[in-house]
Amino acid sequence: MKIRFWQKTYILTLILFLVCLNAGIISLTLFTHSKSVRSAEETAGAEEYYIARSFERDLEDMLAAGAEQSPMLLMNSYGNFYAQRGVFLAFKNEAETIFSNLPASIDAARGTIFHKNIDGVRYIVICSEAGGYKLTFAKNVESLDSEFRALTLTYVLTSIVISALLAVLLYFVLRKLSRPLEDLQRTTESIEEGDLSITADESGRDEFALLAHSFNSMIGTIKAQLSALEENAEHKQMLVDNMAHELRTPLTVIRGYADYLERVAVSEEERFAAARYIISEAERLTKMSEILLDTAYIRENPPEMSEVELDEVLRGTVERLSAKARERAVELVCETEEATVRGNALLLSMLFDNLADNALKACAAGGRVVMKCSASRASVEDNGKGMSADELAHVTEPFYRTDKSRSRSEGGVGLGLALCRNIVEAHGANLRFESEKDKGTKIFLDFTT
Amino acid sequence: MANILIAEDERAINDLIKLNLTLVGHKCEQVFDGAAALERALSGEYDLLILDVMLPELSGFEIIGQIKTPVIFVTARVSVEDRLRGLKLGADDYIVKPFEILELVERVRAVLRRTKGEREAFEFDGIRVEFDTRRVYKDGSEVSLKPKEFDLLSAFITNRNLALSREKLIELVWNFDYDGDTRTVDVHVQKLRGKLGITDRLKTVYKMGYRLEI
Repeated sequence: MKIRFWQKTYILTLILFLVCLNAGIISLTLFTHSKSVRSAEETAGAEEYYIARSFERDLEDMLAAGAEQSPMLLMNSYGNFYAQRGVFLAFKNEAETIFSNLPASIDAARGTIFHKNIDGVRYIVICSEAGGYKLTFAKNVESLDSEFRALTLTYVLTSIVISALLAVLLYFVLRKLSRPLEDLQRTTESIEEGDLSITADESGRDEFALLAHSFNSMIGTIKAQLSALEENAEHKQMLVDNMAHELRTPLTVIRGYADYLERVAVSEEERFAAARYIISEAERLTKMSEILLDTAYIRENPPEMSEVELDEVLRGTVERLSAKARERAVELVCETEEATVRGNALLLSMLFDNLADNALKACAAGGRVVMKCSASRASVEDNGKGMSADELAHVTEPFYRTDKSRSRSEGGVGLGLALCRNIVEAHGANLRFESEKDKGTKIFLDFTT
Repeated sequence: MANILIAEDERAINDLIKLNLTLVGHKCEQVFDGAAALERALSGEYDLLILDVMLPELSGFEIIGQIKTPVIFVTARVSVEDRLRGLKLGADDYIVKPFEILELVERVRAVLRRTKGEREAFEFDGIRVEFDTRRVYKDGSEVSLKPKEFDLLSAFITNRNLALSREKLIELVWNFDYDGDTRTVDVHVQKLRGKLGITDRLKTVYKMGYRLEI
């Protein structure tokens, strides 16, 4: 059986309280009782003293008057008088008892005081000296016992009522205090079942609220990581899907023309055309696998970084692509300031070659591509055909092409910008696109390190 | 034999389909985007449309609902979901890239037979083959062919100018349940050559099989 925290607290608190309460009540009862016993004894002592002194005085008066009356008469009248007040007396001389109305015979030394129980009734007995006689005084203090009983009863009842009240109040208080903990526990159960959308109640300022808060931020972190993982998996899945699709075109061409060559009595010209198709598609496959391998390599192996003259890199790109630019009648220029960044010169060249190549392809004859760099920013700007917002959103996805047939006819495999993105990420830099349909595209690269 | 429109944006694949369908006797026209495909197909002058699903401008799925021409989808998409979608939209058949020439030819033939009925007679070198009556005439007089010989001739005519392996011929003529050896094919080919006098046309292809060249 599982005992919950609040139940434990409840039981322990209740036991502790009941022990203290009842110990308090018992000692209070005992203290009160012993005090009333003492005061009864004092009263009895005073009474006894008064009786003894009055008796002595009366006896002296009687002897002085010379009356022939026996002291027994005096004793008798004292005995009868006090018996009505619950006080019983006995007078003795050395040899015998002269008078006694005690309920039982009591023999004790002079000067003692004690309690005696006779037939279930309590008496305070005092033995002393009065006028030469030994006086035994016994006072009925039955009320002392009944008072004690009444007191005990009162206290027991009080204890029961208070205990019950406490048990109930404590239950509600603890339930209320432990509610946040139970809520939190239920929350963790839901999360265990996979529902991450639930959050713990953070109201209040106690430890539970703090705990709920940390708990929520923990869930938040987990959720963020999960969605990052999901996004990553989705991205990879998309890459695989796209790749499966991209592979089918060259495979269809290669297979189809090989099949054709095998089955058909072809002319020399047809044979050449079929072989051309097969070779160019095989080349495309090679290029695709190379870029994919490069991409994977850059992702897996952090490139070696050194100080790179960014303006040098841009000038190199312009040099390499100037022939292609002339062919397309597009003006390719760079406007550079001296700039040094931490990076890998080879990868950066690859990056700018790709970006500039894309820009050239976007331009019609007579277009213009400008590459710029300053302290920690480089840009490639063209006044070509531009992209719509929708195209822009997909542009760095592997195998995405804004104009598929044209890209293919120019030998593109749709992986250029995906590779660029990897290079940029490896540099901890930031790639940003600005584009307007039919106006041109601007690409900004910001180095943060 | 049939008028076919090919809508496929990859020129290499479009050419491939055209080459092969032309070889077996069809008349082909090529378009390279969805808009052109729809426009040409709406003219109603085609017996069949070979339609790529992923076309620029208009996808094959968008086109098919607007035309009455029979359609065979050609696509790189292979998910069952896509197949079902294509067929539900009214495609007559589905070919997945990469495909074999013979598969393409066979599916085209099957769809045309469903939509247009049995082929008309086929004539070459004074030989007339009637598919509906299964009779063959040479220079006006009937030549008696056994059922398997006629089926073999029919398979050669369907796949004319394409080399067919002996195994393929067994599959096409004797169906898959035949487990005799491939010499049966050789024997039947010899008979056909003898009866019709087409040794020059029905050629042996080295290491491959036979090809009817017309």
